[in-house]
Amino acid sequence: MPRPVPPRQGGADPPDAAPGGSRRFALAGEASLRRRLVARDEQALVELIEAASPWLLGVTRSMLADHDEADEVVLEVFASAWDRASGLGDENEMLLPWLLRIARNRALDRLRGRRRRRLKLARADAYGELPPAQAGPAEVDEAALPGWHVHESVHGALAGLPEEQRSVVRLAYFRGLTHSEIARELAIPVGTVKTRLRLAFGKLRVALAPIKDWVL
Amino acid sequence: MTTHDWYVEHREAYVARSLEPGEERAFRNHLVHCDECARGTDRLARELGWLGMAVDPVPPEPGRARRMASVILARRNRWRRWLPLAAAAALALAAGGAALGGRSERRELRTLLAEREGELAALQDTLSVLRRAHQVLQTRISMDGHEGGLLIFQDAVSHRWCVIVHGLPPAPAGSVYQFWFITETGMVRSVEVNADTRRPAFMTLPMPGVAAPVMGAALTMEPVVNRSSEPRGVTLAHLVF
Repeated sequence: MPRPVPPRQGGADPPDAAPGGSRRFALAGEASLRRRLVARDEQALVELIEAASPWLLGVTRSMLADHDEADEVVLEVFASAWDRASGLGDENEMLLPWLLRIARNRALDRLRGRRRRRLKLARADAYGELPPAQAGPAEVDEAALPGWHVHESVHGALAGLPEEQRSVVRLAYFRGLTHSEIARELAIPVGTVKTRLRLAFGKLRVALAPIKDWVL
Repeated sequence: MTTHDWYVEHREAYVARSLEPGEERAFRNHLVHCDECARGTDRLARELGWLGMAVDPVPPEPGRARRMASVILARRNRWRRWLPLAAAAALALAAGGAALGGRSERRELRTLLAEREGELAALQDTLSVLRRAHQVLQTRISMDGHEGGLLIFQDAVSHRWCVIVHGLPPAPAGSVYQFWFITETGMVRSVEVNADTRRPAFMTLPMPGVAAPVMGAALTMEPVVNRSSEPRGVTLAHLVF
C-alpha cells in the first residue's frame, strides 16, 4: 500500500525548521569533505552522515520495511565508507550515489536472505512501494535537506515513465526482484519485463544526466 | 546475437540486480575479462545511483549523525586493540610468502601515501583559511571548571571560517554544543561541535546559504531534542564582528 504523501509546503519553513542547517554541504563542495575523510577527520564523518543519512535511511527503510534493520544497514554503509576512506579519491564518482548504491545492494542482500527464509514478505509488500506518480514528495523540511532538488528531479523522472515501465523499475530496483519474479508478479512474459526495464532505464539515464554535477 | 551482445543487452539488468542468480554469476565472471562491459556497467551504475533518491528522505533527527559516528569510531577503536596481534600475524604471513608480501606491501604503502596526501591537503586547506584570515575573534568559555575558548578566523577570499573550539569537556548526556551564525535577520543553525578537553575541534565552515549578511557567531548548549531554528539553551559564547 502506498504511503500517504501530503502535498508539498509552499516554501514556508515549518515551526521547527533549521534554515540553512545542512545546506552547507552543497556549498562546501565534495572535494574538501573527501579530503577530510581521507585524512580521518572524525568531524567529516559526522558531516557525511548528517548529509547523507536521510537519503540512505529513506531508501533502506522503504526497501526493508523494518526501521531497525534499515538503520543497521545504513550504519554498515557509513562504517564501510569510513574504513575505505583512503579509496575515496575517485572524484569521478559522487559520494551520495555511491553510498546509495552500497546501501541498496546491502538492503537487497538482506531482502533476498529474508525471501530465502520466506519471512516478512507480507510486510515488504505493504511498505516497499514508492509514492504514486501523481503525488508530490513527502512533507519534510526541504530547506534543511541537501539534495532535496535532486530528490524532486529523480522523483519526477520516475513519475514521468509510463506506469507499466515504472512498476517494473519499482519491483526490480526497489524490491530487488529478478526478471522471472517480476514476470510472475505482473503476470507478463519475461521478455516483456526485460524490454520494459531496458526502455525505462534508457529514459531514466537521459532524465538523470543533468544531476551528475550535483555534489554532496 | 553473440555472447558479448547478450552481456551488452543485459547491463541494465545486471546493475539493477534483476538477473537470475546464475545469470548474475556469469555476468560477474564476464566482467573480469571484458573491460568494455566493466566500464559500461560501472558508468551505468554511477548514472543510476541517483535513483535511490526517488524515495522520500527520513527527516534528520537531532544527534543521530553524532551517535552513528560514535558507534563507528568505537568499533574501529575496538579493532585497533587487536592491531598489534594482527600486525604480528601479517608479518609472519609476509615472511612465508615473499612474492605476495611484496605486492601487499606496495599496496599498503600506496594506501598510506593516499592517507598522508589527504591529511596534507586538509592541513593546507585549513592553513589557507588561517593565513588569509582578515579578522580573528576569540572569547573564553568556562564550563564545569574547564577553561576553554572559541576562536574564529574569517577568510573573506573563500568566504569560509576556520572555527576552533578548545578546552571544553564533552557535552553532558542529552545536550550538544551547537554553533550558530548570527545574521542580520536572525540566527542560523550550523554544526554541532564535538568538544573534547584533550584536543581542539577544528571546523572549516562556509557561510550559510542565506541572503542576509553574517555578523557573528554564537555557541550554545542545546538539548538534543531541540531542532528549532532559534537557540533555546544556554549561551556559552556570543561574538559579533
